Amino acid sequence: MRDVGDTEIGGFGISRKDDLLLVEDFLTAKQTASVVSVEFDDVAVADFFDRQVDLNHSPEQFARIWVHTHPGDCPYPSPTDEATFRRVFGVSDWAAMVIVARGGQSYCRLRFNSGPGGSIEIPVCVDYSIPFGGSDHEAWHEEYKTNIQVKRIVPRGSFDTAFDSVSLCNDAMAGDEDELFEDAGFGFEFDPFDPWEECQCEI
Amino acid sequence: MRIMYINNFGGGFADHIEIEEGTTVSKLFAQKIPDGRPEDYLIRVNRLPASRDQILKEGDRITITPTKIEGAAA
Ligand SMILES: [Zn+2]
Repeated sequence: MRDVGDTEIGGFGISRKDDLLLVEDFLTAKQTASVVSVEFDDVAVADFFDRQVDLNHSPEQFARIWVHTHPGDCPYPSPTDEATFRRVFGVSDWAAMVIVARGGQSYCRLRFNSGPGGSIEIPVCVDYSIPFGGSDHEAWHEEYKTNIQVKRIVPRGSFDTAFDSVSLCNDAMAGDEDELFEDAGFGFEFDPFDPWEECQCEI
Repeated sequence: MRIMYINNFGGGFADHIEIEEGTTVSKLFAQKIPDGRPEDYLIRVNRLPASRDQILKEGDRITITPTKIEGAAA
């Protein structure tokens, strides 16, 4: 699912009732995503909550593990990620932010908000002791098509030099990508500029 | 009066609660999320957007969910 499109993908981990850190499913909600960002549709989040409750799931099972991808190979949270984790997930007793980078790296931080509070990075692994179904690429593509509205961004100018590339990446890190890109409604015609190729993971 | 209340605050909640007759959406929000800012949440009653003055009725289902969940790669 991580690699279905060239954008970020966001969603929620669905935990097992008796083991909340065991994620048995990953579900998306409608969202707008680009190669550098992802934002859920607020109504879709509410629909997701209502659907999960209808399935007899508790909020602890479906609304605590926020998962999103980074299309590059840097799994570390950006300032935007940190702000969301604090603002949205800081009101729950506990929550986890999981980031899966396309390069295969992952990051997970478990945060406790009750008592003295605190957070700790924890490893992410596949638990092969638990039975699970096979991959379903068709379903992943369908979910991507249904829920991820792709915000295409194309560079206004050319990025011929490594210097330009690094400069763009750093600016995007400051959250100013909208000023640097324009939504052209179509994809790259050529081999796209990949900001992560040049950008070191500097968080 | 019983209503269904769903949110992710604290321990999280998705169950029936008892409220007083005439309780408005804003009053319930203030009771349940005293430090919260309503603008940070989407508040729906029976899956429809609710106004702050809306009076809750027996059997209503109120869902309070966070807004602007966003991430970025860098
Ligand atoms: Zn991110």
